[in-house]
Amino acid sequence: MSELLLFKDIDEPGLNTLSVYEARGGYSSLRKALEMTPEQVLQQLEASGLRGRGGAGFQMGKKVSFLPQGSMSKYLVCNADESEPGTFKDRELMQKCPHMLIEGIAIAAYAAGADRSFVYIRGEYVLQADVLDAALAEARQAGYIGDRVLDTEHSLSLVIHRGAGAYICGEETGLLDSLEGKRGNPRLKPPFPANQGLYKGPTLINNVETLSTVPTIIAMGGEQYAKLGTETSTGTKLVSVSGHVQRPGNYEIELGIPSREIIYGLAGGPPEGHEIKCWFPGGSSSPVLLPDDLDVPYDFDSMAKAGSMLGSGAVIVVDDFTPIVDLALKVAKFYRHESCGKCTPCREGTNWTVKMLERIDSGEATPMDLDIMASVQDHIIGNCLCVLGDAMAMPIGSMIAKFRGEFEQHIEQARAREEAALVGAASGGGAH
Amino acid sequence: MPRPEPNTITFTIDGREVQAPENSMLVDAAKHGDVEIPVFCYEPKLGNPVGACRMCLVEVEGIGKLQTGCSTPVKDGMVVHTQSERVKEAQRSVVEFLLINHPLDCPVCDKGGECPLQDISFGWGGGISRFIEPKRHFVKPLELSPKIAIDRERCILCYRCVRFSQEISEDYQLVLLERGAHSFVSTFDGHPYVAPFSGNIIELCPVGALTSRSYRFRARPWDIEDAGTVCTLCPAQCNVKLTVRDERVMRVLSREHSEVDDGWLCDHGRFAYPELAQGTAATSQNGSGPAVRVGMRVSQPLLRDGGELRPVSWERALTEASAALKRAGAQTAALAGSGVSNEEGMLLARLMRDGLGSPHVDSRVHGALPLDLLQALSDPALQARVSDLEFAHSVLLLDCDPLQDAPILDLRLRKGVRRHGLTLERVAGGDLDALRETAKRLHEHGEEVVIVWGERFAAGPDGAERVRALLELAGELKLAETEGAGLLEIPATSNGRGLREVGVLPNGAPGLRPASGEGGKDASAIALALAAGELSALYLMQADPLDPADPFSASAGEGAWAGACERASTIVAHATLLSPGLYEHANVIFPAESYAEKEGTVTHPDGRIQRVRQAAARAGSTQPGWAVLGQLGELLGFDAGVLGERSASQQVFDSVAFYRGLTLEEIGGRGVRWQERHRDGDAGHEEASKGSAPHPHAFAGAEAEEHPAGNEGDGS
Amino acid sequence: MSAVPRLPGGTRASGWDEPADLNKDPALIPDPATTEVPAELRKTIEEAMARYPERHSAAIPALHAAQELHGWCSPEAIEQVACVMRVTPAYLDSVASFYDMLEKQPVGRHSIYVCTNISCSLRGADALLAAVQEQAGEDPDFNVRAFECLGACDIAPMASVDGVYVGPLKDEDVPQLLDDARAGRPVLPEKQLATRLVADPNANSKEFPRHAPEEGKP
Repeated sequence: MSELLLFKDIDEPGLNTLSVYEARGGYSSLRKALEMTPEQVLQQLEASGLRGRGGAGFQMGKKVSFLPQGSMSKYLVCNADESEPGTFKDRELMQKCPHMLIEGIAIAAYAAGADRSFVYIRGEYVLQADVLDAALAEARQAGYIGDRVLDTEHSLSLVIHRGAGAYICGEETGLLDSLEGKRGNPRLKPPFPANQGLYKGPTLINNVETLSTVPTIIAMGGEQYAKLGTETSTGTKLVSVSGHVQRPGNYEIELGIPSREIIYGLAGGPPEGHEIKCWFPGGSSSPVLLPDDLDVPYDFDSMAKAGSMLGSGAVIVVDDFTPIVDLALKVAKFYRHESCGKCTPCREGTNWTVKMLERIDSGEATPMDLDIMASVQDHIIGNCLCVLGDAMAMPIGSMIAKFRGEFEQHIEQARAREEAALVGAASGGGAH
Repeated sequence: MPRPEPNTITFTIDGREVQAPENSMLVDAAKHGDVEIPVFCYEPKLGNPVGACRMCLVEVEGIGKLQTGCSTPVKDGMVVHTQSERVKEAQRSVVEFLLINHPLDCPVCDKGGECPLQDISFGWGGGISRFIEPKRHFVKPLELSPKIAIDRERCILCYRCVRFSQEISEDYQLVLLERGAHSFVSTFDGHPYVAPFSGNIIELCPVGALTSRSYRFRARPWDIEDAGTVCTLCPAQCNVKLTVRDERVMRVLSREHSEVDDGWLCDHGRFAYPELAQGTAATSQNGSGPAVRVGMRVSQPLLRDGGELRPVSWERALTEASAALKRAGAQTAALAGSGVSNEEGMLLARLMRDGLGSPHVDSRVHGALPLDLLQALSDPALQARVSDLEFAHSVLLLDCDPLQDAPILDLRLRKGVRRHGLTLERVAGGDLDALRETAKRLHEHGEEVVIVWGERFAAGPDGAERVRALLELAGELKLAETEGAGLLEIPATSNGRGLREVGVLPNGAPGLRPASGEGGKDASAIALALAAGELSALYLMQADPLDPADPFSASAGEGAWAGACERASTIVAHATLLSPGLYEHANVIFPAESYAEKEGTVTHPDGRIQRVRQAAARAGSTQPGWAVLGQLGELLGFDAGVLGERSASQQVFDSVAFYRGLTLEEIGGRGVRWQERHRDGDAGHEEASKGSAPHPHAFAGAEAEEHPAGNEGDGS
Repeated sequence: MSAVPRLPGGTRASGWDEPADLNKDPALIPDPATTEVPAELRKTIEEAMARYPERHSAAIPALHAAQELHGWCSPEAIEQVACVMRVTPAYLDSVASFYDMLEKQPVGRHSIYVCTNISCSLRGADALLAAVQEQAGEDPDFNVRAFECLGACDIAPMASVDGVYVGPLKDEDVPQLLDDARAGRPVLPEKQLATRLVADPNANSKEFPRHAPEEGKP
C-alpha cells in the first residue's frame, strides 16, 4: 500500500481533537466544498466511483443523486451501527478520527441538500460515542456544524444517537425505524429511503467509512481518487482481519490487491502448524471461500465472481482445527438471535436451521437432514423482507456445499458416539 | 380532499389479460381475473401493507426476485405469474415455515373450518412437513382481556392485531414483545387489553390465536348459519353478520360496509348479544322465586298486579293495555326510543294520532324543532356522508363525542387524520361565536368542512335558534354546494333519523310534512304535563326515561320524569330488557324483539335506509312490534291496515314522500341513501350531485315548496 | 417478579405463559398527576425529546436513562418514561424488549458482556465466558452475559465491562477484571481497547490460539 488515505495519521496522539485534526489539514475539504455548488460536490462524488463501505457496495454519488430536489426537509443519516460479525473498522475511525466523519457528513449533507443529520451509533460503542459527542461540540463551536455553516447559507444540525443492541438496526430501514423510536424492524421497499426515509422525508444513509472518505475525495478530486483501486472498485478500503491470523486488526488496502496479501502479508496468516480451512471475505454474512480462493483480487466484483461478496470488508479466517459444524452453528445462532421476527422465512428459517445443526451436532441427524437444511437455506434466500435471512442462508448454504463430506462425517461420528453412550449406559446398567 | 379515482389498466396474470384499477396491489388486482393470491398479513383496512408473512410471493416478469403481491402496485402491461414452479415452491415453503411451530390442534380450535391458515395450507401448502423437532408449547389459552383469549402457540406473527391496536384504534396497548422467533403478542406488564374496539382483533386474526371468550367452544363452522343485519344499539348502525346456531345468536361479526362502518365493530356492539338474548339478571327457570328482576330479558307480557309485575298471557296484557289507553284517550303520550324500527315508529304514531287522537308523540330526546328547520337540515345537498368524515379537509365536532355517541365514527375520524391529513376540532355548542370562528378558520384551510353535531346541540328553549345559526353558517361556508362537505347529525337514539322521517314527531307527519291538527307536546313537555296531571297515560316503546342509560333520561329536567311516572295512571311499554323505571312504574310490558329478532327498516344518520333482518328466534312468546301495535289498534277500534312485515314496510315507503318507490329488495343488504335515489323514485342509484337543484318533491306537499331546503344557505 | 433465565446466546426467555391480570386497569398513557417521575430523569427525557423532530425518537435514550436510574427497565421505570414521553407503556415495553442492552429483568449493576461471536469464539471466547461466569458466581453485583459481536475482533477474545472494551483476555485476567469492576477502578488498564494502536503488529500474535494443534483436526 503506497498511500494511506483514511489511516494516514490514524495513530497520531490527539487526532480526535479539533486542533490536531485542523493542524493536519482537517476541515479544509469542507471549506473547499462550500465554495463549490452542491452539484459540483456531487459531481466529484460521482466521479470518484466511491462505493458504499457498509456492505451493499452501492455507488455513493448515485445514492446522493436519488434524493429529490426541492425545499422539503432532507436528512442525512450516518450508519454507525457496525454489527456485522468481524467488522470493527468504523469503530477505529470514530474513536481516532471523529472529525473526519463529521467533516464528511457536513460535505455530503451539503451535496444532498440535507439540513438535519444523525449518526446512529451502536449502543455498545460507548467510548466512540463519547469521543464523537466531544468532537461534535468542538465542531459546533468552530461553526462547522449548526446554523449557517462557516457563514454560508447552508445549515446542518447533527445528533449522535446511541442504539441499544440490535444487529438488524444496521439494515438501513431497520435503522430508520429505530431512530424514530420504534423496534428496529426493516421496512418494505419501495418506498426507498431516498424518497421516504426518516420521518417520511428524503434520506441519505451512508456508512461511517463511506462518509469519512468524502473529505479525501474533495481534497484530491474525484477523478484522482478513482485512479486508485480497480475500475469498478475505486479507492482504498479498510479491512478488518480477525480470527485465526497472527496480527488481527484494521488495515487500509487499495481495492483489488490479492486477498492472500491481506491475510498473509498484512495479518500474518494463521500461526505455525495451522492451515486455512475457509475464510469469510466480507463478514459472517458472506459465503465462505476456500484456500484456493486466496488469489482472488479483493474488490467488489471479483468477490462476487468468486461466489461471495466483499460486504463490509471483514475478513474472518478459520483454521483447519475448527469443525465446520461448530462454525455453522455459531453463524446460525447469531442470525436467529438477531432476526427481528417480522417476516416468516427469516424468523422460522433461522430457528429451524439452528435446531437442525444442533441435531447434527448431537448425533440425532442423518445425511438426509443436510438436504433439508440446504433446501431450507434455498427457501430463505431471496424470499425475505430484508437481507438478514439471506445473510444466514448464504454462508450456511456455502458451508454445506463446500464441506458436505465433513458434515456427513460429523453426523456419522456423533451418531456413533451417541450409540456407544447408549450401549454403554445399557450394559453398565445391566451389570449391576 | 379528492378521493382516489384510479384508471383501469390491463395486465397479464397467468397468461390471461385482465383489467384492474391502476396501482391496486397485485393481490387485489388478481381478483379481477379470478386469481387468488394467498395472504396472511395483508389487510387493506389496516393501512399500508407490511409485507411480513411473505405468503403472497409472485413472479413479475422483468424483476429477478419474487415480489410480494400485497405490496406491488399493478401497472399497465405487467406480466405476473402465480402458478410457476418457482412461485409454488416459495409459497409451499412459507406454509411450511409457518406450520413448524403451529400446534395443528385444529380439532379443538375455534377457528377450525373458517381458518385462513387451514385453507391456505390446503390450497398452497406442500402437505408434508420436514420439521421433526419438538414444537414449542405454551400454557393456553390465556386471558388477554375479559373478552379475549390468546393462544400463543397458534400465533403466526402476522402483525394484524398489533397494527389494529396501534394504527386503527390507536390505543397502543397491544404490542409485540421480544424479538425474532421469541416475539409474542402481549400488553404491558400483564395489563388486560381493554379498549373500545378491542374485539376486532379476534376477527382480524388469521389463525385461532385470538378467540372470543364468550364464543369459545360454542359452535363449529358447520353448525352455524350467517345472518346479515344491522346493529341498532347506537346511531352508527353498523352492518353485522350474526352467527346463529339453533336459532340463537352466538357471535357478532362485521359485515363490512365502507359507507357505514368500514368493516369494524365496537366492543359494545360485538359483545352485547348474550345480554340481549338472555338479559343481565338471572331468571328463575321454574317460576319459583323472584322471576321478575331488573335486567332480565322480557320474554312474555308482564302485568302489574298488586304492585308487582307478573307474567300474563298476551290476551290479558293486550286487553288491559287497550282498556287503560282507551280511558286515557287523547291524554296519552308516547315516546319511541332506541331500537324502534321505522315501521314500528310509524304505526305507533298512527295509533296515537288516529287511534287515540293524541298528537303527543316524540322520538327526539332534546325537544321538538320547527318543521322548517327539520326540512332544511334534511336538504340532500347539505347531507354529509360517513366517508366524508375521512376525506374532508376538516371535521368539526359540535356537541358530540363520536366515541360515546356512535363509536365506529371515531375510527373513521382517526383514519382521516392519520391517512388523509384531516383536521379535527371540537366545539361546545353553547358558544356560537366559537363555533363560527372555528368553522371559518377551518374553512380557510380547505373548503370541505363537515360539521358533525349531536342532537343535544338543539336542546333547550333556544335550541331552534342555535340550529338556525348552524344552518346559516353552513350557508355562509357553502357546505351544500361543496362536494364532500356538509352536516351530519348524530341523533340521540339509534334510529332517531328514521323515526323523525316517518313522523314520530309532535309537529310532523311522515315525510316531515306538517301534521294535521294541533301540534303535540315534545318529550320534555310530556314529562311536565304528566306530572301536572294534564296527561294521564304514557306509552314507552323501547324507552325508559328513568333509566340513566336510556337517552330519554336526558329529555327533561332533573326529577321531571320521576314525577311524571309517579303521577301517570298508566304506563304501557315495549321492552327487551327490564329497565329500572319500567320495573317500578310500568303497568303493562310487552316483550320487544332484540334487533337480532326483528324485521324492518331503520335510517342511518346520513339517510341510508337499511334493513334489519330477523336472524334468531324471538325470545319466549315475544311478538313483532308491528303485530302488537296492530292488535292494540284493533282493540281500540283502529285499523292500521298492516298484515305483515312487508306491508308495514310498504306503508312506510308509501307515506314518506322521499322514500316513495322504495322496495325491500332495492334496499337489500347494503342499504340505500334516499338522497342518492333517482329523483323520479325509480331504482336508480344516481347520486344527487352537489349544487344541483334540491329535490322539489322531497317534502311533498305545497308547504314543502316554500322551503327550498336551505340550498341557498339562508336557512330561514 | 421472578427472574426469568436467559436462553443460551443471551436471548431473553419471554413471558409467553403469562395471562393478563384481569384485575388490573388497561395500561393507558400514564397520568402525570399520579405518576411520580424523578426530576433528573424527567429533565434528561425532555432534553432528549427536544433533540429530534419527532419526540418518539427519544425512546431509546430515555429508556437508557431510566435503566441507569432504576438498574433495569422495570415496569415502574417504563411508566415514568411513558408519562414524560406521552406514550403508552406498552409502546416502550415493545421497544425495550427488542434491544439487547435494555434489561427487562433485574440485573447486577456491573454488566459484563463477553463476546461469543465467531471471531472471538475462534480464539476461545466460550472458555472465557465460562471462566467469567464461574468466577463471578452468584455475585448479585454482576450481570454476566454472552453477547453477539461487539465489534472488537482485533482484541479477541474480549469483553465489555460496563461499556469499557478489554482484550485479548486470558483466564488469568478474569479475577482482576472482576476486582476492578467491583471496586469501580479502571478495568485492566493495559488491556483496554482505548490504548491500542491500529493493527499493532505485535498485538495478540503470541496469545493465539487457545486450542493447541495437538487437539487434532476435526
